[in-house]
Amino acid sequence: MSETTIAKDMPPAVEVKNLSKHYGPVKALRNVDLTIAAGEYFVLLGPSGGGKTTLLRTIGGFHKPTEGEVLLHGQEMGHLPPDKRPTTMVFQAYALFPHMTVLQNVAYGLKVAGMDRRSSEEKAAAMMDVVGLSGFAERKPHELSGGQQQRVQLARALVLDRDILLLDEPLAALDAQLRKDMCLELKHLQEKVGITFIHVTHNQEEAMTVADRIALVADGNLVEQGKARDIYRAPVKKFTASFVGENNILSGKISNVNGVSCTVDVAGSQLVVAKRGQEVTHGQPVDLSIRSELVQLSRANGSNNSGDGHSILGSYDEAVYLGLTTSHLVRLPNGVEMTSRTISDAVDDLPTPGDPVRLHWQPEAIRLHTS
Amino acid sequence: MTDEYANPWLYRLKWLYMLLLVVTLMSPVLYVMYISFNANGFGARSYDFTLEWYRLVFSDTLLLNALRWTLTLAVVVTCITVPFAVLAAKYYKTAQNKLPVVFLLLAPLFVPPDILGSALLVYFKSLNASFIWLGDQLGTTIFDGWFRLSFFTAVVGLIIYTIPYAFIVVLITMGRYRTEQTEAARACGADGWRAFWDIEFPQIRAGVFSACSFCVILVFNEYTRTSLLKGGFDTFTTVLISQMLNTGMSPQSYAMSSMVAFTAIAIIGSIIVFTLIRTESLTRMARAKAEPVMSS
Amino acid sequence: MATLTTNSPGGAARPAGEFSAVWRARLGRCAFYLPLAFMVVFFALPMALTVVFSFFERTMFWMEPGFTLFSYHNFFFSARLENFLTSMKYSAVAVVICFIFGFPIAVFIRRSIPQVAQHRVILLFILPFMVSEIIRVFALRPVLQRNGLVNSTLLDWGLIDEPITSLLYTHTGVVIGEVLSFLPFIVFAGFLAMEAVPKYIFEVCDDLGVGFRRRFQDVILPLAAPGIFAGAVFIFVNGLGVALLPNILGGPGAVNAGLIATQAITALDFPLAMAVSAIMMATLMGLLYLGHRLFDLTKILTPLN
Repeated sequence: MSETTIAKDMPPAVEVKNLSKHYGPVKALRNVDLTIAAGEYFVLLGPSGGGKTTLLRTIGGFHKPTEGEVLLHGQEMGHLPPDKRPTTMVFQAYALFPHMTVLQNVAYGLKVAGMDRRSSEEKAAAMMDVVGLSGFAERKPHELSGGQQQRVQLARALVLDRDILLLDEPLAALDAQLRKDMCLELKHLQEKVGITFIHVTHNQEEAMTVADRIALVADGNLVEQGKARDIYRAPVKKFTASFVGENNILSGKISNVNGVSCTVDVAGSQLVVAKRGQEVTHGQPVDLSIRSELVQLSRANGSNNSGDGHSILGSYDEAVYLGLTTSHLVRLPNGVEMTSRTISDAVDDLPTPGDPVRLHWQPEAIRLHTS
Repeated sequence: MTDEYANPWLYRLKWLYMLLLVVTLMSPVLYVMYISFNANGFGARSYDFTLEWYRLVFSDTLLLNALRWTLTLAVVVTCITVPFAVLAAKYYKTAQNKLPVVFLLLAPLFVPPDILGSALLVYFKSLNASFIWLGDQLGTTIFDGWFRLSFFTAVVGLIIYTIPYAFIVVLITMGRYRTEQTEAARACGADGWRAFWDIEFPQIRAGVFSACSFCVILVFNEYTRTSLLKGGFDTFTTVLISQMLNTGMSPQSYAMSSMVAFTAIAIIGSIIVFTLIRTESLTRMARAKAEPVMSS
Repeated sequence: MATLTTNSPGGAARPAGEFSAVWRARLGRCAFYLPLAFMVVFFALPMALTVVFSFFERTMFWMEPGFTLFSYHNFFFSARLENFLTSMKYSAVAVVICFIFGFPIAVFIRRSIPQVAQHRVILLFILPFMVSEIIRVFALRPVLQRNGLVNSTLLDWGLIDEPITSLLYTHTGVVIGEVLSFLPFIVFAGFLAMEAVPKYIFEVCDDLGVGFRRRFQDVILPLAAPGIFAGAVFIFVNGLGVALLPNILGGPGAVNAGLIATQAITALDFPLAMAVSAIMMATLMGLLYLGHRLFDLTKILTPLN
């Protein structure tokens, strides 16, 4: 992103202010604020039905906001239909025109814009090369595989030279391996064309692969946004921790507050955690999260002491072999299950179910969530 | 077919029953056609093939005039009903509350012809009277005759009659259309109309054309509503029926009914053949083109 | 890619045509209400007004505003009521016959014919229906009469010695006419209704060894009920309302509501015609309301959404 200096002077590509969308009594979006810089690959991540598609479609002009504004490049666009906006869109599936050839599909937008046939077809053919579709010009959409169909959609959108590309679950209909490959291709494509991509998905791996920044959307709320790495490594909200990565969530009460850290009582164990700027009071119910790959498992060596504040005791439940990794499930005294993930075959002698075990971690691995 | 253990003879028997039923339903028409080519008319012992009765029909100026009126009526009604049906079907697909739409558009199906005809007749007569009264009050005559029984009132009655059929046919074809395609066209910069004409219409064209032919045939065949609401003109069926009612079945009226039947069967038959050929060739083309593609 | 990103037509500044676009969109939305408005003005309103007109006073050639129950008195306290009820009875008989002959065909088409061919087979049943109903009904005369097709065939085969005369100009004739006219409709309605019965249900039934009767009673009937009901109401109401059937095929006493209405129109007794229409509409609405309460008739169209 060499144009970052230019982008600073320009208004952001997308600015969403206090946006709400209601369908009768159903509130699909509530007071969402969002800013997306020009040239960014931005991902809206969240569970199905959480409102992320509604947000994307409102930006694209397919829904009218109930409240709030959508600004594209600093201009209010709330009243404009999709065809009058500087956006274009890639849909989940079925959105190719079945009665046209691939070339006609890609050139359609140019034809609508009034470009003459020859130059529009040349431009379309060039874009088809970019997305890796050369040689498919005369096919009909139903003769293409799922991945190729989505490439056609990409070409059809990109050929228009709009500044913002919206992608609504573009890879959801593809199988797992193909999805991985296409993810990388999307990322590289975005770097190549340099326009803003806004991508909706419920798949966190997909989000991590492509995103510069991620926003989590659930229950119509924008829960958290930030750089992809930060969202994964240091989520602020409990929801983020539960949705991104394989996190253990522990509920407890503040038992002691001192300076930058505090102590939380979880099932009798006193766990020390950094406050990270959050205000807590004694007795307040809070949540802790820790990624399963950062939890280490060892046999409890007879001593039942509560440890140094960075470990907890439990009884071994079972091992789930997942190929590369193995998940060890451990039941805490309060009945909650915790997972420790290790590289498979790294542990030779597994505890038998029911054995007392100790789970421990590095002090900076655990995080406090007050909301 | 799908059940490989099913008794093939039972399957054939069911087909036979179905075709027999179709033939039974058609039998009066087929019988009339048979009689219409007999020089000796109905009930005669001997059968001599002739086209004389058809020649007589075509030399009858009254009938030819009626035919002209019928065709005009059919064209005008179709040109209004089918766009209405398309608009209504599009509205239905996006409407939150579908019940009023369904009710308004399908209820005419359930109202018997004589009841609808009488109700509209009295409605138009009262409207006409009210408008003349209104004109008198205002001292103008421009309102006179707006709702006098005329070509216009017949058109209205026939639109009400044909719209449920057109609506269902269009709705069935629209059911297969994915609205994402319209949105994709919008995202490509086409406005609503452009998206409809470029993307949706080519895909529902078969349904729209079927709806058109339905309308033409229905208008062509309709008697009760037309005869109640028409002004001073006659259509093919009204001439035919009034002749039948007055003088009974003459050999000439057999020929006339056969002609109406032939036309209708020809239209429907060609639709069947056309769709058959078209779908066959399309699937063949698709199969030929779709060689296995291994890469993504 | 640099060539692609410069002088972009879809860039940030595309203000031209914004307002006209907004207005066009607004106008376009109005167009969607046009058919509905038309149906309200020329269908719902005339049908509702039949009730009002039925209370008007009859004059020599027309009617004048007033409130009288004379027309209803005229209907309910004369042979008309008896005729109406008789036609109801025979119309119901026609519904049952249509169902018995027609519905199995709908099941057969849905179940045993490949998906792509189903609509084509249905077109077969549109074929007879596409020939003017009145011509078909008229054509029944030479088929059913004393020396007609049926009798001469049966005589030739030696199945009967005397021509059957009760086939025409009787209630039987009317029922035959109704069945032949309306049977395709139960096939269409049944076909639509069977869309609610997924094909795998038959496989489940085969797997469980469910018998023919139980299968019909426990599976098909409850699922297809809305469609069957709609088809049945259609046939019943048309049996009551199509004047031509008793007019052409019926004998003494075969007078249905449609014929009463047309006779009243011919006799320039418009309030009576309106009263008959209002009674018919009430019957129809009552049946549809009953059906809607029992089965939720909107389900019929769900496969189309």
